[in-house]
Amino acid sequence: MIEIQDLQFSYGEGDFSLEVPELAVAHGETVAIVGPSGSGKTTLLNLIAGTAIPRSGQVTTNGNQVSGLHDAARRDFRIANIGLVFQEFELLEYLNVLDNIILPYRINRTLHLDKTVLERAAEIASRVGIGDKLHRYANHLSQGEKQRVAVVRALVVEPPLLLADEPTGNLDPVNKDRVLDILFEYADENAATLIAVTHDHDILHRFRRVIDFKGFYA
Amino acid sequence: MRDVLYLAWRYLVYHRLKTAILVTSIMLIIYLPVGLNVVVEQSAEHLTARAEATPLLVGAKGSPLELALNSLYFSAEYPELIDYSEATTVADSGLADAIPLYVRFRSRSNPIVGTSFDYFSFRDSSFASGRPMAVLGECVVGAAVAESLGIQVGDTVTSSPETVFDLAGVYPLKMRVSGVLEKAFTPDDEAIFVDVKTAWIIEGLGHGHQDLARPEAVSGVLRRSEDNIVANASVVQYNEITEENAGSFHFHGDLAGYPLTAVIAVPKDEKSGVILRGRYTGDNATRQIVRPVTVIDELLDTLLTIQQFIVAAVIIVGLATIATAAMVFMLSYRLRRREIDTMLKIGGSRPRVASMLLAEVAIVMILSSVFATLITLLTWRFGPGVIESLVVA
Repeated sequence: MIEIQDLQFSYGEGDFSLEVPELAVAHGETVAIVGPSGSGKTTLLNLIAGTAIPRSGQVTTNGNQVSGLHDAARRDFRIANIGLVFQEFELLEYLNVLDNIILPYRINRTLHLDKTVLERAAEIASRVGIGDKLHRYANHLSQGEKQRVAVVRALVVEPPLLLADEPTGNLDPVNKDRVLDILFEYADENAATLIAVTHDHDILHRFRRVIDFKGFYA
Repeated sequence: MRDVLYLAWRYLVYHRLKTAILVTSIMLIIYLPVGLNVVVEQSAEHLTARAEATPLLVGAKGSPLELALNSLYFSAEYPELIDYSEATTVADSGLADAIPLYVRFRSRSNPIVGTSFDYFSFRDSSFASGRPMAVLGECVVGAAVAESLGIQVGDTVTSSPETVFDLAGVYPLKMRVSGVLEKAFTPDDEAIFVDVKTAWIIEGLGHGHQDLARPEAVSGVLRRSEDNIVANASVVQYNEITEENAGSFHFHGDLAGYPLTAVIAVPKDEKSGVILRGRYTGDNATRQIVRPVTVIDELLDTLLTIQQFIVAAVIIVGLATIATAAMVFMLSYRLRRREIDTMLKIGGSRPRVASMLLAEVAIVMILSSVFATLITLLTWRFGPGVIESLVVA
């Protein structure tokens, strides 16, 4: 369950500011956030993830007031609860596909990398069609393959909340469906919450709820 | 920690060219002063050891360094010559034992050292096989000569002409090997030792030819009188001393006037050494007596001064290189800002990400140090020999 109350955020002295009086997302819900560029959709994802701190108001996820936690606690919370999918994939060019997928395990000591994790990574990768590319460098992959790697990286830690920023923005129709299938299958099988920012109105029908940043609508 | 090192290693391997350039630069900065120090110290030790083992050298007045290098290391440049009588003078003084040296000729690149038996006991040389030279035309070879030329007792080595265009000059002499020395790790390993008279034969000061009194040599007779026979140019001269022709070898004139490059003087005691040195201090003396250790110390002082200049220059270049390397890392971090942000967003802690970046620096430094150590060890093993050959050459 995500609850946002009287949230206010701005970047330094800039013109941009975001205000969300109230927003609630239920456990297991799939939500698409749409709106014009610069309206603050990605910022909202960052606030929910705890990678940005609001000027005022509260963001509560699964009972944890994320904005009130200190840096290390926010990181541990994020690791335990959130899988992030970035619009630009954000894969590390010097790692192969498998190493990119299990990267969260290598950079956070609360996660333990073992055989089970490796098997799970390989299994999810196979399910999304990149099982034979685990030892290729990330920059030798197509756009669709890169996005699938980014999705598998978010799923491998088995988070109860998935935050996806334009998960299909760089993909052709076939890969777009493939990536969405992965996300929705995961959310469905694990009763996970999925919040995706998108400009793509063709995919909105797949979400249980769509939020327009200029006004909520169902 | 293992994960941090793994990620750092993957980054360095992926950017292998940048890594190689950094490692090479830092390795050189570490190696240059250390390696130079090793070379200078070992060369100093090596040069000094030989010099310390040679108390005094008597030679023609001139460059003490040339005299010392020729007498100790058998360098190709030889000093002004002195007469053999100088060796007799030293020995007759009762102050020191005299060991003659005539280091002028070569067999290929190996120096031929004309000397006496005493040289081997003076240098405490051991024979791997055979015995010292006993008759004219025999030689003893150093261990490295025997190894490189694949020769043993009973084989022969031939002296090289000083110049191939001088038809009236030194002819090659074929010499039989009577002994091979044990390896001593000194210039003796590279030398061929002959009796000083054999060296004079190489020079042509002594020779052997067919007996002009015999009937078959009549074509070689230019003029014959009651007490003398003068040969013409067709007389057969021997270029090898054998049992059959050894008797025909002879020297013209007084041997006391025959040439030497130096005399090693081994004083009976310290006082004798001082007295002997005093005899060569006159302004008009045409001879000099030098303590090799003093000469070599002066040479080393020059080397050390040069070393200090080089080290100072290397330190300045090193600081510049380290500053450049630091800049490369800092620019690299700026370029990797997005990658770092991604790691922080997906759960990486700042200390862990920082550790990864520091691990990259550490790995580069460790690799540089390891390679610097390796080439320093190689320098330690081979450097002094190279430097010594350069200095002596």
